[in-house]
Amino acid sequence: MLRFTLNGQTVETDLAPDTPLLWAVRDQFKLKGSKFGCGAGLCGACTMHVDGMAQKTCVLPLAAVAGKAVTTIEGLDPQGVGAALQAAWVAESVSQCGYCQSGQIMAAAALLEANPNPTEAELETAMAGNICRCGCYPRIKNAIQSAAATLAGGALFKDAMAEEVSA
Amino acid sequence: MSTLSRRSFLRHSALAGGGLLVAFTLPGCSTPPSLPVPRESGDFVPNAFLKFTADGAVHFYCPRDEMGQGVTTGLTTIVAEGLDMAPQRITVELAGAHPDYANPGMGFQVTGGSTSVKEHFTQLMTVGCQLRALFLAAAAQDLGVAESALTTDDGMIVHGENRYPYAQFLATAATLTVPETVDLKAAADYRWIGTAFPRLDGEVKATGKAVYGIDIDVPGMEHAVVVRPPVFGAKVVRFDDRAAKSVAGVRTVVEIATGVAVVAEHFWQAKKGAEALTVEWSASPLDGATTASLRADYAEALAAGGEEAESTGDVATALAGATKTVDLEFWAPFLAHAPMEPMSAVVHVKGDSAELWAGTQGPGPAGALVARHAGLEPAQVMVHQTYLGGGFGRRGTLTHVVEATQISKATGTPIKLLWTREDDLRGGLYRPASLMRIRAGLDDDGRIAAWDAARAGSNITPETIRNSLPALLPGMPDGVVDFMVGLTDRLHQGWVVDHSSIEGLYEDYAVPNLAVHHVTKEHGIPVTFWRSVGHSYTAFAKEVTMDALAEAAGQDPVAFRLAHLEHNPRLAAVVAKAQEAWNGWTPAPGRHLGFAAHHSFATSVAQVAEVSVEDGAIRVHRVFCAVDCGLAINPDIVRAQMEGAIMYGLTAALHGKLDFEGGAVKQSNFHDYPILRINEAPKVEVVIMESQEAPTGVGEPGLPPIAPAVANALYRATGKRLTELPLSDALRLA
Repeated sequence: MLRFTLNGQTVETDLAPDTPLLWAVRDQFKLKGSKFGCGAGLCGACTMHVDGMAQKTCVLPLAAVAGKAVTTIEGLDPQGVGAALQAAWVAESVSQCGYCQSGQIMAAAALLEANPNPTEAELETAMAGNICRCGCYPRIKNAIQSAAATLAGGALFKDAMAEEVSA
Repeated sequence: MSTLSRRSFLRHSALAGGGLLVAFTLPGCSTPPSLPVPRESGDFVPNAFLKFTADGAVHFYCPRDEMGQGVTTGLTTIVAEGLDMAPQRITVELAGAHPDYANPGMGFQVTGGSTSVKEHFTQLMTVGCQLRALFLAAAAQDLGVAESALTTDDGMIVHGENRYPYAQFLATAATLTVPETVDLKAAADYRWIGTAFPRLDGEVKATGKAVYGIDIDVPGMEHAVVVRPPVFGAKVVRFDDRAAKSVAGVRTVVEIATGVAVVAEHFWQAKKGAEALTVEWSASPLDGATTASLRADYAEALAAGGEEAESTGDVATALAGATKTVDLEFWAPFLAHAPMEPMSAVVHVKGDSAELWAGTQGPGPAGALVARHAGLEPAQVMVHQTYLGGGFGRRGTLTHVVEATQISKATGTPIKLLWTREDDLRGGLYRPASLMRIRAGLDDDGRIAAWDAARAGSNITPETIRNSLPALLPGMPDGVVDFMVGLTDRLHQGWVVDHSSIEGLYEDYAVPNLAVHHVTKEHGIPVTFWRSVGHSYTAFAKEVTMDALAEAAGQDPVAFRLAHLEHNPRLAAVVAKAQEAWNGWTPAPGRHLGFAAHHSFATSVAQVAEVSVEDGAIRVHRVFCAVDCGLAINPDIVRAQMEGAIMYGLTAALHGKLDFEGGAVKQSNFHDYPILRINEAPKVEVVIMESQEAPTGVGEPGLPPIAPAVANALYRATGKRLTELPLSDALRLA
C-alpha cells in the first residue's frame, strides 16, 4: 500500500508501484482533468504539481510520489496564482480544443509561483514542455503575462464572461 | 453588399413574400426517432435545437462538434442573435445523434470542411427569429396587448416600462404554432454577431471540467488497448496471450477485425498486457516499402501521366512559345493529424441496445457504425457526444469506434478503448503524400501564358468513403456496402478525379492555357482529410511557383499575383491588404519576408512571414495574415483560427513527416514527430476584411499559405528554391 497526498487529502493505492501517477489519478481516483497525450513525458498534457514542482506524470511512477503532495488542476488554488491564470485564460480565450490546457495552466502556475515576473525567454523555457496542437501559444503567452500583471497589482479574481454580459 | 443594402434586401423580400421563405422544415418533437433532448414537464422544446425551462434557462443543442474551432460559441451566437438574447445566457449542449442535426450542406451529421457557420447561419438565425416571434405572440396574448406594442431586449419582452422574461410565456408559447416564415434580423441590428467576446467554453476548459471521450467513466467499465499490425494490410495469423493474461488486472484478450485487444481493469494494466502479447502477422503487399520506394512509384506514375482534371486553351503550344518557363517538382510527405487527445471511445453493447460516448466529427455516423457492428438498428443506439481533444479531420473516420464496439460485443461490458500516441502515429489515417509538378510559362508581357500541373498520390476521398459508407448507409447490408465501396474506388481510379486530391493546384490566378492532371497511386496506406485537405500541399506548389514566375518576370511577387487576380476580387483584396504590410515592413537584420495567398473553403487568405536561418535552423518570427471570411460572427475566434492554422501549418512546414521503413511507419511519438512548441511560435497579426457577405469557414483556410510563405522567405534568405516538405529537411539537404 502506497500513500500520498492528492489535492490535500491523504490517499492510498495498491496499484503496481511502476504505474504512472497519471493513471492512478485518472483511473483509481477518478480525477479526469489531467490528460494523457504521449505517455513519454513529451507533451505535458499530464502536468501536475508534486511538492510544488511541475511534473510530467505519465512517466512518473507511483513509487516516486510516496509521501509527497500531489496537486492536479482540480486542486489548483482558487484564490491566488491559479485563479489569476484561469481568469486570464478565459479572458484571452486561450483554449481551442482545450485538451492540453490543464497541463498548460499547471505548468504556468508552477512558473509564476517560482518567478512572478518572468521574461518572455523565461516563459518560453518554462512552457516549452507543453504542446498545444491547436496552436494557442500566442494567447498562452498573453494570458501568463496578464495573470502576472494582475497578481503584481493585487487585482481580484475577475470573471471575464460575467463582465461581458453586464457590459 | 453593404449593411444597408442587405437590410433593404431582407425588408424587400419580407414585404414581397410576406416574410422570408424558410427553405427547410423543423420537425416537432413527435418526429421519429425521438429527439435526444432530455425534458421534464414544463419544458418547452420547439425543435431539435432549443429547450426553454420554467426557471428561465435556455439550452442550445449545438448540432456541430466542438473540436476547438469555436463552433459552440459561433452557432450559439447566431441563434442568440435571432432570439435577441445574450449568448452567455444560453447553456450549450453537445447534441446527440438525430437527423435534425444533419449538416445542411452534407445531409449527414458530420462536422468538417469549414462548413459549420457557412451552412448553419441561415438555419439557426431563422430558428432564433422564429422563437422570438413566437414569444412576442405569446406575450401579446397573455398580456392582452397588441403585438405591435411589444419588442424584445436580451431575453425579455418589453412593453413600455415593463419587462418580462421569455420564460414567463412558455406555457402559452407551447400552444402556438411556430411561424414557418419569419423576417430575419437585419445585419444593422446585430448586437453580438461581429463582436469579439470570450469563448463560451473558456471556463470549463480552464478548470479541467470539460469532458472528452477519454474522460468517460461508467459503472463496470473495462479498459482496452489494441495491438495492431506493424504494416498496414497484415492480419492476425495467431497470437499467444499467456504472458498478457498474467499481467495484474488483465481480464481477457479478444481478437477483433483490426488486431488483438487486451482488456483490463485499468488502462495501464491493459497497456502492459498489450506489451506482453505475442502476435504473428500475415504478409502484406506493403512489406518492405520505404518512403523512397513509395516516392519512386509516384514519380513513375507522374511521368506516365494520368486523368485530365481541367483543361483550358492549349497548354503545350503556350509552353513551347513561352518567353520564360518554370518547371518545378514538389514533394509533400505523409502526415498524422496527432490531435492531443488520441483516439478514444466508450461503447457498451447490451442485449437490445448500445451506448456510445465519444467526441467525434460525426455522432450520427458513429451511432450507425455501433449499430452495424453490434447487430442493432441505429435507433437502438444512444450516442453521447463529448468535446473533442482536437479533430483536424482525424475524428471523421471512426475505426476506433468500430473496434470498441467489437470488443464490447465480445465482453458484454462497457469498454473504454484508448489508442496510445504510438498507435496514433503508426495506425493511420494520414494526409496522403503527394508528388506534384508544375510547368508554367510567361508571355512577352510577363504574364502567365501556361500552367501545366499534375499530382500523383493516393486519392483522399475514396478512402474516407470506404470508412464512412457503412455509417452513412445504416440500412444497407454489408455486401451492398462492400460493393459500393469498391465501385467508388474504381470510379476514382478509372475516370473521375477526386477533386479533394488536386484542389488548390490551379484555381486562383488567371491563366489562359491550363492543364491539370491527376494520377492515382494507391499502396493500401489509410488516408483521409487533414486540416485543409488537398490545399495543405497544393498551395505550397502553387505559391512557390508563383514566386519563381515573378522572379523570372522580374516583378515584385505581390504585384505579380495582383496582376493575375483581376477576375478574383476577394482574393485580390486580401492580397492588397497583405501588400500594405509587405510594403511597410522592414525586416530586422538577417530576416527575410515571404508572401503567399490562397483561397480555400470559400475563404481567402494572404500571409507574410518574417523568417531567418540561425545555425541552420529555420525561425519564423512574425506572420501577418489577412482573411476574408465574409461576415465574421466572432472576430476573436476568426483570429484564433488563423493563429492556430498558422501554428498547425508551421509544424507541417518545418518538421512534419511520416517515413516508411520496411513497410512500417518509422515515427512513433513526439520525439521523432515534433510539434511546434511555444519557443518556436511566431507573433501573429490578423486583419479581418470588413464584410457583410455570407459567412464562410475559418477552420482550415489559414493553413495553406504558411508553408509557401516561409519557403518564399527562405529563398530570399538562402537563394535556395525549396520545393520539398518539411522545409527543415529540405534546407539541410539543399
